[in-house]
Amino acid sequence: MSRIFERISTAVLEGDDEESASLVHKALDKGETAADILNEGLLVGMSEVGVRFKAGDMFVPEVLMSADAMQAGMRILRPLLVAGGVKLIGKVMLGTVEGDLHDIGKNLVGMMCEGVGFEVIDIGFDVSPADFVAAVKEHQPDIVGMSAMLTTTMRAMGHTIKALTEAGLRDKVKVIVGGAPVDAAFAKKIEADGYGSNAPAGSDLAKELVGAA
Amino acid sequence: MRTNYVINSGVRFSMFSQDQLEEMFWGVLHLLEYTGLDVMHDEAREILKGAGAWVEGKRVRLPSYLVKKSLQMAPRSFTLFARDGNPKHNIKIGPGRAHFGPGPTCTHFIDPETMERRPYTKADVPLVAKMVDALPNIDFCESLGTVGDVHYDLGALYEFAGMFPNTSKPIVAWSYDKFDSAGIHEIAVAEAGGQEAFEHRPNYVHYCEPLSPLVSTFEAIDKLIFAARHRIPLIFTPCPIAGGTAPITGAGIITQGAAESWMGLTLAQALQPGLPFFMGGVYSVMDMNTMILAYGAPELPLFMAGLTELAHYAGLPLWQTGGCTDSKTFDGQAMIEGSMSVFFSALTGGDLCHDVGYTESAMTGSLFQLCAMDEAIGYARRITRGIEVTDETLAVDVIKAVGPNGHYLKQPQTRKLFKTEFWYPNLIDRQDFESWDMSGRLTMKDRTIARVRDILATHRPSAVKPETHKVIEKVLEEAEDRVKDKK
Repeated sequence: MSRIFERISTAVLEGDDEESASLVHKALDKGETAADILNEGLLVGMSEVGVRFKAGDMFVPEVLMSADAMQAGMRILRPLLVAGGVKLIGKVMLGTVEGDLHDIGKNLVGMMCEGVGFEVIDIGFDVSPADFVAAVKEHQPDIVGMSAMLTTTMRAMGHTIKALTEAGLRDKVKVIVGGAPVDAAFAKKIEADGYGSNAPAGSDLAKELVGAA
Repeated sequence: MRTNYVINSGVRFSMFSQDQLEEMFWGVLHLLEYTGLDVMHDEAREILKGAGAWVEGKRVRLPSYLVKKSLQMAPRSFTLFARDGNPKHNIKIGPGRAHFGPGPTCTHFIDPETMERRPYTKADVPLVAKMVDALPNIDFCESLGTVGDVHYDLGALYEFAGMFPNTSKPIVAWSYDKFDSAGIHEIAVAEAGGQEAFEHRPNYVHYCEPLSPLVSTFEAIDKLIFAARHRIPLIFTPCPIAGGTAPITGAGIITQGAAESWMGLTLAQALQPGLPFFMGGVYSVMDMNTMILAYGAPELPLFMAGLTELAHYAGLPLWQTGGCTDSKTFDGQAMIEGSMSVFFSALTGGDLCHDVGYTESAMTGSLFQLCAMDEAIGYARRITRGIEVTDETLAVDVIKAVGPNGHYLKQPQTRKLFKTEFWYPNLIDRQDFESWDMSGRLTMKDRTIARVRDILATHRPSAVKPETHKVIEKVLEEAEDRVKDKK
C-alpha cells in the first residue's frame, strides 16, 4: 500500500478533516485514481474506526470527527467517481416515522453511513407511511432506515412497512430500524430486515445488507 | 473579576454544627482530664508525666492544655511518598482529599484461581501489592491478610517484605512488636537512602492499635515509641464496638475512641514534636444477634463521618474505614455495603480510608472485593468532584449555537471535554441487551474476576533497588534467627 493511502487512512482515524482533504488532493495530483483513494485510503481508515469503536477504544464524538474527515475527502472524490462510473457501496434513505419529531439519532446514522461510503438521502422527520412510499419510488434506495424515539411512535414503523408491501415495494428495498425503544425482537415482529442499537451499529448493518461488510 | 463570590469545589457534606463539634471536642478533653486511660508501659508513663500528665499507678490523666498543645503540634497537611519517586503514587494529606486502600490482618483469603476461602499465605502478599499498584483508585497498600505459613511471630515482617517490592504506592505497616517495627524500618530506610532521606520523604506509615475501652496496651505504646523516635508517620487507631467495648451511642463511641487516640497523640508529640499523626479507627456496632463487629452496618460510615468531622475540627487527619462487607462472597450485599461506605467516606474527605476489600466482617480478604470497590471509588470520586460553574461551563453560547432540535455531539466543547467531564467505568456494563447477550452475558462478578486475573498476569510494578533486596533478605534471616528457639 502506498504511503499516501496510509496517511489518508490515518487522517480519517484521527478525525482531521483538513488533513484528509489536503491529502486526497495530493494523491490525485500524484496520479492515483479516485476509486483507489476511496478504497485503499478513506475506507481503510473508517473500517479501523469501526473496529476501535466496538472495542471501546474510540468514543462517539471521535467517530463523528472521523466521519467528517471521511466526508471531506468524499466531497472531492464524488464528482470524479460519478464521472468515472464508479458506484458507491449503496444508497440509504433515512426518515423518522410519523408523529415523531426526533431528528438527532437519524442524523447520526446518516453521518455514519456517509462515513462508510453510502450515498445518503434524508427525508426528514414526522414522515407518513405514504410519504415513505413516495420517497422510495423517487429515490430508489437500496436501504430504507426508520427511526423512532417513542414507544407511542414506534408502531408507525410497522405501518410503514405494511404500506411498502401494499405498494409492491417491499421486495425492492431492505428496511432497517433503530431508536431508543426499539430492539431486535420488535424489528423481527414488524418484519424489518435488521436493527441497529446505535449509529455505528446502523451503518455496519447497512454495509452487511448490501454485501459490503 | 468577581467580589465576595464563594466557590464550592465538589459536593458539600456536613453532619455536626460548630456547637456540636465544640461540645464533643470538650467531651474528649474532659474524659482525658477526669477519667484518663490505663497506660501499660512504664517508660511511656514517665514521658507523659514529664510532659505534664497526672499519673496514679497505671492510670494517666491529661490536663486539657497538654492535649490542645499536642493537637497544635501535629500537622494537618503533609505528603507520603512513593518509594520510586513516581509523583502519581504520592499521597498528599490535606483538607478535602480522600484516599483509599485495603486493610490488614484477615486470617483468610479468597483464592484468586479457585475462588475458595482458605488461609492467607506468604505467596498472597505480592498479589495484593500488585493489585494495589495497578488499580487507579487505590492509593495506599495493606496486605488484606495475616501471613499464616511462617513462624507465628514473623507474619507482619514477611508481609512488609512481600508488599514493599511489589508496589511503589505508600504502605501502611502494622507489626507485632518493636522488633518487627525495626526490621520493617530497616527495609524502608534502605530504599529511601538513609534515615535522614526517609524523614524528608517517608514511604510508609506505622500502624498501632490500642485497646477499647481506655487501655493503651504495652505493644501499641512500645511500637508508637519506636515510630516516634524514628519519625515514622503514625496511625494510632482503636477499634471500639458500640454496645460492646464502647457506648452504644454514636456520640459516645466517638468521644471514647478519640480519647484513646489522643493519649497516643500526646505521647507521640512529647517524643517527636510535629510527627504526622492520624487518629481514627474502625467504629462500628456489635450486632446483637450474632455478636460480630459489623463491617457492613450503616452505623460504621455514620460513626466514621462523625469522627472525621471531629478529627478535622481538632486539626488531625483521619484513618477512615470503608469498602468492606459482612458478606462471605461476591454478591449484592457486598456491593451495597462496600459502595455505600466508600461513597460516604469520599464525601467526608477522611484522609486514608482503609479496609477496602474486606469480606466476612474482616475475616477474609478478597482481591475481587478490592477490584470492584476500585470501581465504586471511581464512581464516588466523580460525584464528589462536583459541578464547576464558569462562563465556559454554563455553555450559553454553545446552547445558542446548537439551537432547537440540534445536537451537541459535534460541538468543540463536547469534543474537548467528553473524556474528562464524564467518568468511564472499567467494570460496569452499559451495553444494550443484544450486545450484552452476544458478548456472553457477563455479570459484574465475571468481569471483576477477569480484571483481577488480567492485572495479576500482566502488571509489572517498578523494582526496588538491588541493595534493598539484600537488606530484605538480611532482615528476614536475622528475624528467623531471633525466633528459632521459640515454639
